[in-house]
Amino acid sequence: MAIPILGNTKMLQNKRQDKTPIFSAKDIAYMGIMIAVIEACKFALSSLPNIELTSFWLIMFTLFYGRKTAIIVPALILVEGAVYGINTWWIMYLYIWPLLVLIAWIFRKTDSALFWAIVSGMFGLCFGGLCSLTYLGMGLVTEGFKSGANTAFSFWISGIYWDLIHCAGNFVLMLVLYKPVSRLMKREFSTVK
Amino acid sequence: MEKKNTKKIIIAAVILAALIAIFSVCYFKFVAKPTAGEKSITIEVVADDGQPKDYKLDTDAEFLIDAMDELADEDSSFSFEGSDGQYGMMIEVINGKQAIYEKDNAYWALYVNDNYGEYGVDQQPVQDGDTYTWKYENAPE
Repeated sequence: MAIPILGNTKMLQNKRQDKTPIFSAKDIAYMGIMIAVIEACKFALSSLPNIELTSFWLIMFTLFYGRKTAIIVPALILVEGAVYGINTWWIMYLYIWPLLVLIAWIFRKTDSALFWAIVSGMFGLCFGGLCSLTYLGMGLVTEGFKSGANTAFSFWISGIYWDLIHCAGNFVLMLVLYKPVSRLMKREFSTVK
Repeated sequence: MEKKNTKKIIIAAVILAALIAIFSVCYFKFVAKPTAGEKSITIEVVADDGQPKDYKLDTDAEFLIDAMDELADEDSSFSFEGSDGQYGMMIEVINGKQAIYEKDNAYWALYVNDNYGEYGVDQQPVQDGDTYTWKYENAPE
């Protein structure tokens, strides 16, 4: 009777030793760098309205760093809230950026600069519409569906011009940067995913 | 793989083109359109003492911000300051009374003909006969 028990104990010990943590120290360092890269780009481009690299980086990180990017998004949103203060836009970020990561994850096997430029452009185009959902929700909670829908619709319509700029910016940036950055990321993250 | 990618690209491109077309049509159909020509408007300021102060203005301004600029040039008793934010200009000071949400826990609310304004000051079209009310409002506790 003693032998199988000892055997089981040994097996358990082996299992425990083999079990690697979900996030290694390297992962945590990578995540910190990724958030820093996004924030630095955001700051550098802050003078250009609706031209941003956050979409580009989140797509690239999801494609090459894999599912662990899901952790970067809430960390990024928390950093944004801490730096710029929590306001309506912060609530919008809670679902907009995770949605982009989810889309990138669904199509992760597609390796094409043009495809990702189109997806990124589409995301930029729909950004205002997605943001307006927050106003719909606020209206629902406070003054009812009609009031929320009116505010959301006005917000979306008045921002379409800027959404078109967002679309063009995202499209061009992805088209230009996808190949050189993906080459680097393939090399860097080949052992991570 | 290459063929599969091409198919995905074509589908995505068609969706993007359709979205651009739909969004553009919606924009031109529904965006607030300013009216041209001379317009008589009233700009009302209700500060924290609750006393309204009316300013009459004849203007060709398309947007409220331009009408307010004109009024500030014409009438020294009216002044305002604001700052550009993510969603356009935010009015922070009117006639020397500051209402910055983060600092004063209050804000300048815009009403158009007694209805809560749906646009920012730089997107609010100016229509003949309208009354634009700036009301000092405390943030809810």
